[in-house]
Amino acid sequence: MISAVEFQSVGKSFGETVALDNISFSVKPGETIALLGPSGCGKTTILRLIAGFERPDSGTITIGGKSMAGLKPYERNVGLLFQHYALFPHMTVEQNIGYGLRHRGHAAREIPARVAEMLDLVRLTGFGHRRPNELSGGQQQRVALARALATHPSLLLLDEPLSALDAKLRHELRTELKDVLAAVGSTAIVVTHDQEEAMSLGERIFVMSRGEIMQSGKPDDVYWRPKSRFVADFMGRTNWIRGSVVATDGSVSTFRSEFGWEFPVAASRDGAAMKDVCVRPESVEISSGTGRAGAIGMAGRVEDVVTLGAFRHVSVELSSGDRIISACANRPDISFEAGQEITISMPPQACVLFA
Amino acid sequence: MSTHSRTARSGDRVAGALAYGVVGLGLAFLAIPLAITCLMAFDARTFLGPLPPPALSLHWFERLASQADILSSLRTSLVLAVLTTILSVSIGTAAAVGLARGDFPGKGILTSAFLSPLIVPPVVIGFGLLLFLSKAGITNGMARLLLGHVIVTAPYCIRTGLASLLGADRRLTDAAMILGATERQAFWSITIPLMKTGIITGAIFAFAISMDDVSISLFLSDPSATTLPVTLVSNMRAAFDLTIAAAAVILMAVTVVLIVVLDRLVGFDNVVGQGLFRS
Amino acid sequence: MTNARQQTAAISISDRRDRAITLAPAVLVLAFGFLSPLINLAIESLKEFTPGRVGSVENAATTVQNYHELANQAFANVLLTTFWIGGVAALVGQLVAFPLAYFIVRRLSPRMRTLALGFLITLVLSSVLIKTYAIELTFGSVGILRPLLLTVGLSANSREYINIVVIAGLVHSIIPVATLTLMGAMQSIDPRLLDAAQSLGAPGWKAHLSITLPLSLPALVSSTLISLTFAISAFVIPMVLGRGRVLFMSNVIYTRFSDIANYPSGAAISLVMLATALAVISVITLAHAWKSRR
Repeated sequence: MISAVEFQSVGKSFGETVALDNISFSVKPGETIALLGPSGCGKTTILRLIAGFERPDSGTITIGGKSMAGLKPYERNVGLLFQHYALFPHMTVEQNIGYGLRHRGHAAREIPARVAEMLDLVRLTGFGHRRPNELSGGQQQRVALARALATHPSLLLLDEPLSALDAKLRHELRTELKDVLAAVGSTAIVVTHDQEEAMSLGERIFVMSRGEIMQSGKPDDVYWRPKSRFVADFMGRTNWIRGSVVATDGSVSTFRSEFGWEFPVAASRDGAAMKDVCVRPESVEISSGTGRAGAIGMAGRVEDVVTLGAFRHVSVELSSGDRIISACANRPDISFEAGQEITISMPPQACVLFA
Repeated sequence: MSTHSRTARSGDRVAGALAYGVVGLGLAFLAIPLAITCLMAFDARTFLGPLPPPALSLHWFERLASQADILSSLRTSLVLAVLTTILSVSIGTAAAVGLARGDFPGKGILTSAFLSPLIVPPVVIGFGLLLFLSKAGITNGMARLLLGHVIVTAPYCIRTGLASLLGADRRLTDAAMILGATERQAFWSITIPLMKTGIITGAIFAFAISMDDVSISLFLSDPSATTLPVTLVSNMRAAFDLTIAAAAVILMAVTVVLIVVLDRLVGFDNVVGQGLFRS
Repeated sequence: MTNARQQTAAISISDRRDRAITLAPAVLVLAFGFLSPLINLAIESLKEFTPGRVGSVENAATTVQNYHELANQAFANVLLTTFWIGGVAALVGQLVAFPLAYFIVRRLSPRMRTLALGFLITLVLSSVLIKTYAIELTFGSVGILRPLLLTVGLSANSREYINIVVIAGLVHSIIPVATLTLMGAMQSIDPRLLDAAQSLGAPGWKAHLSITLPLSLPALVSSTLISLTFAISAFVIPMVLGRGRVLFMSNVIYTRFSDIANYPSGAAISLVMLATALAVISVITLAHAWKSRR
């Protein structure tokens, strides 16, 4: 099968700064990829290389099997949703959406129908004669999406598509964006620094740092089985527990913390070298009382409770002396207070070993 | 009420009255001479008499229109102002685009150099051009005037052009190109329309400055090409009568038309934002 | 994202060519119509004067005579007149422009503000000739302000009277530009600062002295200097209103050209004038550097 996009050993530097260090990857047709990383990690550079705003220093980029070497942006059939949208302020919504159609040689009489179709797709029928500055942030985002999709691009690039919106709108539009992407079925690459956005939009996530792809895979794989400390920390909150592997039995090892707390973890090939365990707060189950302490559970005392709406973050000091944070659903029938005696437990497969 | 707050209040009252007084006197000082000029232009008397005119008439305008040198210099001024505007806007807009396109060594120096004619006394520019163009053998009066006027008006167009490009994000031309527009198409369909306010403001300033200039034109005018202000100055020095008031009314009318156009197309608030008046 | 860096690096070969094409006309016009004349002025100012010629004689002897001739009482008076009348006009202009700018920015409704802006821009774009003529009409033999000056004991033919009229002419042109310049600075002052000062017990006028004035001081300094540069290079205003008795440097240059055709001397005065203008401008630049360092 021909890849929708393929990077082969692509390198790019700006002066002294290495933006991309020998990157290779490929995207399947129809797939949605999320490029996730902090600012300066090179994700935007990948986008600008695909769009043709930059040229790679080394390596090749192909789109649909065709080399892009030397092709200008307007010679590639790529759609781009800009961060902050880059809508043309002096044109109406219709003119913005029709701009690509006019310049990609569509017959003039077909343009109004296609523009209307796009307005319908993003639910903005009737807004065609407005100017961008007369629209809300969410509406502008949808116009930008319609403009990028109007010319049937073989590939859609989205640069921080939701970052300019406030939190509530961001959630709504994320779902809507996912629906639109599914409806048009085009290959899409989303660039974002927000891990929630990456996990909800991307079928696969590429986590990037300092010009390198640190890990790629399905959202759950990357979240639950990070291969590096960077990925573990970047994908969400983690508890880090220092210690060593004391025994291994098949797929489960026993880990002993510095304070002497022993618990089962998912085995790793070179177990002896492993000095840290990463466990996400939501994997740490917490129950009141010390009754269930034993082989799986560990007794402790609540130090502090922070309520975050849907969740509660409970800081726990275990009887061993280890400290751990548990994230649990905030329910009216269960409460925790500082000083309360509790028991925690963690499924072994949620505990990932690191060197 | 404590004595402190009482003195504070009276201090406020005095300071406030003083400030309003200055504002009122200032506005009166700006407006009254112009109002007097407009009124006197319609004076029915045939001599320069004290205010107010006993009757109104258009005879000063008729006298103005009967002076051949006024009419020919008005024509020269209009042609010159139009040519100056076209040249300055083209040169200035192009230069602004060039300066705004990325960083390059010498950008700061070049920008200052482009704006430097604004800080050189116009008389020095006029006198310098006179000597240089005589030496260079350029004797055509219109060509000399045009060069002199473009030198002092192009910087305004560069300034307004640059200011309007500040709002024009590079990403907008990127967006146009990814949508299939070539560099050239993106320039004409995105960059130039976005510079509209700057171009119009620059054009109106160029036209007005060219229409009004005396300091440069006085050196470069010759019998074949004399501008209206130059003719008016020599008339003013020859005989101080009210034909000049009539001419002033006409020139003011031209300015008011320009101002109305400016407000309709750009808006005064945007004019102030064009970087023409800054500290 | 390191966007600025990326955009800089995004400059391609075609960008470089476009830049050369777009900048070339301005560079050519500037070099031919501005730099060359100035350089020629400098050369000309060092040539020996031969009466009755436009420009110096071919191979005329090089001399500093033209500058040396300026070192006399008459030219010193011209320089002095230019600066003191220009300076007074610049200061009086600020005295009016400062409260006016504050009034327009803070006290007017948006509608009135636009109207005031329109009035000021109209004045800026109005011919200096019109304004000069209007001042002459107002202060001249039939002017309505003439009796006012006569009652304070000034003779209409006195030097003082003429000085005042010239200053009035300069101030009339200075106020609009200075007001527009100061308005920018006033707009950026947070009005809540004044409220804060007053809530801390400062009476209104003291609040202005301690908030509005210091915060707009840099703008006021450069507005004063901009006005001063305008005033000392004024030409029409002293020529018409000065009645030949108040002479600015620019008027002397014109006289060298029109009356006695001594171009080398005119060139020398031009260079002196250019130097003084640049000196004032560099004070502005220094003031700006000082402001941004703080």
